[in-house]
Amino acid sequence: MSFDGFKTLIKEGDTVILYLTIHQVYAVTAESKTLSKKGTLVDNVFQTPYGALKCGDLINKEYGSKINLSKGWGYILQPTPELWTLTLPHRTQIIYTPDASMIVLQLELSPGNIVIECGTGSGSLSHALIRSIKPHGHLYTFDFHENRVNIAQREFNSHGLSKYVTVQQRDVCADGFGTELEKKADAVFLDLPHPWLAIPHAAKCIKDTGGRICSFSPCIEQVQKACLKLKDVGFQELQTVEVLQTQYSVQTKSLSVLNLEFLKSPKLDNGSVKNEKESSRTLTAAPPVQQPGHTGFLTFATLPPIWARNIRITLDECNNAEMDE
Amino acid sequence: MSHTIKPGDYVIVQRQRYTKLYKVKPKGNLTLGYFIIEIDKVIGEPYETIFQMKPKQDSKKLYSLEKVEQLTTISQLNIESSGKDNRNITDDGTSQSLTKEEIIKLKDESLSSADIVGKLINNSKTFSSKTEYSQEKYMKKKEKKYFEYVQFRKPTLRLLVQMYYRQEPAKILGLRIDDVSQILTYGNVQAGGNFILYDSGTSGLMTASILNSIGANTEGCLIHMHPGNECQKNAVLALQFPQEQLDRCINVNLYSVLRCFYQNEDSYCENDNQTKELDCDEKTETTESKIETAGNKRKLSSDNSEMPPPKKACWQYDNEKACKILTNKVDGLIITCKEHPVNIFKELVSFLKGSRTFVVFHLMREPLEELYVHLKTTLEFISLRLSNNFMRNYQVLPDRTHPEVNMSSGGYILTGFKLS
Repeated sequence: MSFDGFKTLIKEGDTVILYLTIHQVYAVTAESKTLSKKGTLVDNVFQTPYGALKCGDLINKEYGSKINLSKGWGYILQPTPELWTLTLPHRTQIIYTPDASMIVLQLELSPGNIVIECGTGSGSLSHALIRSIKPHGHLYTFDFHENRVNIAQREFNSHGLSKYVTVQQRDVCADGFGTELEKKADAVFLDLPHPWLAIPHAAKCIKDTGGRICSFSPCIEQVQKACLKLKDVGFQELQTVEVLQTQYSVQTKSLSVLNLEFLKSPKLDNGSVKNEKESSRTLTAAPPVQQPGHTGFLTFATLPPIWARNIRITLDECNNAEMDE
Repeated sequence: MSHTIKPGDYVIVQRQRYTKLYKVKPKGNLTLGYFIIEIDKVIGEPYETIFQMKPKQDSKKLYSLEKVEQLTTISQLNIESSGKDNRNITDDGTSQSLTKEEIIKLKDESLSSADIVGKLINNSKTFSSKTEYSQEKYMKKKEKKYFEYVQFRKPTLRLLVQMYYRQEPAKILGLRIDDVSQILTYGNVQAGGNFILYDSGTSGLMTASILNSIGANTEGCLIHMHPGNECQKNAVLALQFPQEQLDRCINVNLYSVLRCFYQNEDSYCENDNQTKELDCDEKTETTESKIETAGNKRKLSSDNSEMPPPKKACWQYDNEKACKILTNKVDGLIITCKEHPVNIFKELVSFLKGSRTFVVFHLMREPLEELYVHLKTTLEFISLRLSNNFMRNYQVLPDRTHPEVNMSSGGYILTGFKLS
């Protein structure tokens, strides 16, 4: 229940982030017993490179405190959507934080909004969407895969988020989003192999006062087809963007400084010729040798309010040119 | 929420891609590049309505607005023939037979952009031999110049971020849209928490972003600390938050609030102040004078202990309100500064609860590297990440998809968690 609001103490059943190093971050459940593969209750023990953690010991500990492991220590944090994105069990390819951040801002979400997401996938983005719209808003998330839907629902329950989200199994490309959602949504997010099939259904779900849409696609061909369809059904202000994040490793490097001046005068006999090596310390931030160079293209568009939909203004069709002003 | 434009509303005026923030006044005039537009006719019309600019007879550059239901655009022009490639086109400056004066005359005769582009095409010797794509590009370029339609849009955070960045990045410390989006997520800004923002000048954009994420009718509070006499609040005004939401944003001067916190504990620790809610106009006072009067008042009250305590200024109540929240600590710390961040961070992070996040944004990487090294040595912070983004936009058109020609570079973000 640890995802809804800010908490101080770990309660039984909470999802807790176990932080060992920047690359060793795990999500564990604060429960003393868990079901084994055979279906019997066993001690809930989480094995780490620094020894075992009895998850039951986490209960009533303070978030942000240090926890001893049998061969070292770790830190326990309250989960955020970002930490969850780093630790969640992947069922599918997921949306990472730089993209998720851009999606939330560009969909113009704020508490109280109604958002539609398809597909749910592993629920990475769903957590970020829920944070941005709770407590009065609601997320409707769809996936055509039964197992993913069930796992996502279980996760939302155990994270204490189920009152903010409705998970449904549905093939929205074929069947749409259902009549209950017509003209209900402030924003729609699509992460589908054929977004153009869902775009006409999405348009129907957007409120009469207008709304935003985002389609996430890894391939440019998908983007091209999606853009044509978006224009076709009346979306305006199309924008396609990609965001890639570089994380730097901050380090102090020692660089040797060569002294070449002494070469200009002849050697002295008194033995002081030996050239001492100097060094200089430089603080720097090094990018990783290799990093993701592509996640997906984010295409955003606006469906204007109903009174302005029949007029198509060419807001989006002069991207390249500089403005006169 | 009202969908019609009223006097006093902030609107975003859009002409093609150009946007500008404007406060609607009855009988007001709006300057939009070359044009001066009479704004009166938009009052009472719904947002997003499209208006056509019509030149006024007697005055050059002055335009009136007329609501339109249909646009005449270049897409309706009929292009008869196009060339295969540009092998026979040379730029000798003679392809357009209309003179500059003739073109200006066309514009003043209230011809629509589509008509003007049509005339330009008809009088161009080379247009018909240009390729189809080249023709389209030419028409769009010309249409943009003479485009006579404007739209009045309701300001949203997205539109504001894009507008400020395009107009003058320096006025918002170089915060690009991806930076703003990540500051909000890494700051874990949400409806039910208390947050500190130190902002040394983003035209109110960071305050507006956080307030927008905290939302209306929620519990969250923002303590906005600023270094100047007056806080910048242009973007906050533009988003027209309800009063209840604005009341949960406490604007305080950084020095003044910290002085209150450390030297004037009595003022906010007692429980007797709760009834003294008052409404006052903070705009009339500058913080400079506030600080001075604070000193004087303290002296006065200690000298003449029999006198009734002097009436407190609004800013003092704000300081006390902020200090009360600070004593209970906050759920997020966000710093967007142009100063060196280390001392600011050291001071403000003491008000952050354990297991909570902080975000420091700076346009330069080096100060954040130094802050990073400092944080590493204190052993009180984990998951430290210094990052910056590569962001680019794409032109997506059938058979002509490519990254946009121009791109920008954003700032740097340092995030991490505080330990208990």
